[in-house]
Amino acid sequence: MTDRQKVLNVGIDLGTSRSAISASNGQRHVVESYVGWPVDMVARKVLKRSVLIGSDAVENRTMLDLHRPLERGLVKEGSKKDLDAVRQLLNHLLELAGIDLEAKKRPSVRAVVGVPAEAMRVNKQQLRSTLEGAVDSLMIVSEPFAVAYGLDALLHSLIVDIGAGTSDFCIMRGHFPTEEDQRTLVAAGDSIDENLLKLVQEHHPEAQVSVYMVREWKEKHGFVGKPQGRVKVTVPVKGTPTEIDITDDLRSACESIVEPLVETMLDLLPRVDPEFQAKVRNNVILSGGCSLLSGLRPALQDGLDPIGGGNIQSVKDAVFAGAEGCLAIALDAEDEDWDRLVS
Amino acid sequence: MTAKDGEDTATANRRQRRHMLRAAVADNMAKPRDPRVRSKHARATAPASTRAAGKRGTILAGIALSLVAVTAGALMLRREAGPDMAPVATPSPVAPGVAASSSSLPSPAVPQTFEAPAAVDRSVFPLAVRRVVVDAGHGGADHGASASDLAEKDITFDIATRLQQRLEDGGFEVLMTREGDHHLSLRERVQMANANHADLFISVHVNWFDGTSVPGIETYYLGATEDPELMALAQRENRESGYSLGDLRQLLDGVYADFRQDESRRLAGKVQRSLYRSLLPVSPELRDRGVKTAPFVVLVATEMPAILAEVSCLSDRREAERLKRPRYRDHIAEALFEGIRAYARDINQTIEKGT
Repeated sequence: MTDRQKVLNVGIDLGTSRSAISASNGQRHVVESYVGWPVDMVARKVLKRSVLIGSDAVENRTMLDLHRPLERGLVKEGSKKDLDAVRQLLNHLLELAGIDLEAKKRPSVRAVVGVPAEAMRVNKQQLRSTLEGAVDSLMIVSEPFAVAYGLDALLHSLIVDIGAGTSDFCIMRGHFPTEEDQRTLVAAGDSIDENLLKLVQEHHPEAQVSVYMVREWKEKHGFVGKPQGRVKVTVPVKGTPTEIDITDDLRSACESIVEPLVETMLDLLPRVDPEFQAKVRNNVILSGGCSLLSGLRPALQDGLDPIGGGNIQSVKDAVFAGAEGCLAIALDAEDEDWDRLVS
Repeated sequence: MTAKDGEDTATANRRQRRHMLRAAVADNMAKPRDPRVRSKHARATAPASTRAAGKRGTILAGIALSLVAVTAGALMLRREAGPDMAPVATPSPVAPGVAASSSSLPSPAVPQTFEAPAAVDRSVFPLAVRRVVVDAGHGGADHGASASDLAEKDITFDIATRLQQRLEDGGFEVLMTREGDHHLSLRERVQMANANHADLFISVHVNWFDGTSVPGIETYYLGATEDPELMALAQRENRESGYSLGDLRQLLDGVYADFRQDESRRLAGKVQRSLYRSLLPVSPELRDRGVKTAPFVVLVATEMPAILAEVSCLSDRREAERLKRPRYRDHIAEALFEGIRAYARDINQTIEKGT
C-alpha cells in the first residue's frame, strides 16, 4: 500500500441519476445510474450479456429487470438487487477508468465515493459493506461535502447540490459538517419528472407518455422563468406521432422545486453565526445535474432578497464537480488514513 | 497581503483540510448510531414472530393452518352471509348536494359510492403484524398546517421515512402511501392500504391548535366525537375526501362495532404511551392529550387497525423549533416505532398462546 507507484486514486460520484468517476490517471467518465438484468432466457439470448449498465440498460429496459439503486437518494434497505446494482455500477466505473478488476497485478485502488447526503445518513454502513472488496481502500462522503472540498469552499459557504433524487444543502463552517449543518429535500429532478408527467397526462390525456420521455424533455428543454420560445414535442396518440406544446407544463414542473429550495435556504442561512451570514449568503454554490436547469440559478438568487440578497454561483462542471471533489479528497488523504480504511 | 500572510493563509488552509479529512475518516470508521444498532440487533435475534416460529415451529404451523382455515371459512361465510353475519357499513351513494351543503370545504371529485370496509371476525384477526402502511399526512399542494417556515407535509414525510427505515430494520414490510412531495387523496391512501392487505395503518400528522389550547401529542383511532375542536380537526384532515362529516357519521354507525376498533384502540394506546414517554424528557412542556376517537376518513375506510398520530404541535413555537432539528424528528420516528413494535409483540404473543 505504501508504494505510490502502484496506487490509483479515484473519486466517484454515485448519484441517483448519473454516476461519474475521475481518476488520478486522468480518466473521466459518466454513466446513467441504471443497472438491469435480463428478465428471462430469451432476453439473455437477445442481449448476450448478463447485466447492462447506463444508457444501454435504459434503451433495453423492456427486456430487463431495471434498477436505479439510489432512487430518492437512498438504497432501499434489504433490497439485494439494489445493492447488487450499486456494486455493478462501481465496478463498471472502475473498468471505464482502466482498472482490470480481474487482473492479478493491478494498482492498489483507493476510492472516495460521494453519495447523496440521505444515503450517507441512512445507508453508510450498508454501502460500505457493499462496496468493500471492489477497491482496496474506501472512504464514503456526502456529495455536498465532496463538492465543497473540491472547490476549496470549506468556510462560509452554502452548497446546494440539486440532484435527481434529492436536493442536499450543506453549510460549510470550516469543520466537518454535522447533521445540523445539512438538509435534504426530495424536491429535485425526479419530483420535476413526476409533476411534468402528471401535468402532461392531465392536459393531453390522449398522449402516450412515460417518465423516461418527460425526463428527456426536462433535460433538453427544462427552464424556470420566462420561456425563450414554445417547447413542442412529438408523442404517439393512438400510435400516430403527434406534436404537443408542453411549454407551460414544463415551466410549472420545473418551477415546483424553486419554492422549497428557497425556503430551505432562508431557513438555513439565519442559523449561521450573525457575523458570517453575509459572507455565506454571498457564497452559495449550486451543483448537481438538476442545477443546470435554465433560469434556476437567478430564480434562487432572487429568493434570497427577503434576507438582504445574496450571490449564487453554479459550479463550472456540474457533472464532474462531485467526482472531482472526491478525487481531491483521495489525493489529499495520507497513507495512514488509507491504512485505516482498508476494505 | 505580504508573502508571509499568504504563507500563513495557505498553512491554515492546509490545516483545515487536514482536519476535515481526519473527521471524514473517523466518520467512516464510526459505528451506526444507537437506534440502528438496536434495530439491527433486533433483527439479528429475529423479531417476535420469527422467534416464535423458530421455537414452536410445529405447534405454530398447526395454529397457523387452523387460522388459515378459520380465515378462509370466515371469508366464505362473510361473502355468503347476510347483514346479520357481517355488520358492514353500506352507505347509500353520497348525493352531491348533501356534501356541498353540509360543508363549506371544497369537495373535489365527490365519489358516488363509498367502498365500505369489510368486517373482521375476532377469531381471524390476529394473524401477526407483518405489513405496515405508513401514511405521511398531506403532500403536494396540500401543505397541512404551516408555521413560518415549516410545512406539516414535509415534517410528516420526513418522520414517515425515518419510521419506514426503522420498521424495515425491525423485520416489518413497509409500504408508504406517498414516496415524495406529491398530492394523494385520502381515498387513494385508504385504497392503497386495503389493496395491499396491510396489517396496520399508521398515519403521521402534526397538530395545530388555535388560541389557548395546550400543545401536546395525541393519537386517534376511529370513533365518534362531540368535541367541537376534534370535529374541526377531523374536518381539516378530511378536507380532500369528498365526504361531509354527516356522511361519515352514517358510515361510522356500521363500523364502530367492528373488532378493528378494539385493536386500533390498543395500537393507539401503545403508540401514544411510547410517544409521550419518549418525548417528555426532550419537550418537558408537551402535554399528554391522550388517546382519542375521531372520524378521520383514513380511519373509517381502512380494513385493518388504523391510527392517526399527531406527533407534535406546529402552533407551539418551541415545538416548531425542535421539529427543525433532524435529531428530534428521528426521536419521534423512534418513539412511533417502539409503540408499533410493542403492539406487534403483544399480537404475536397472543398467537404464540394460541388465543
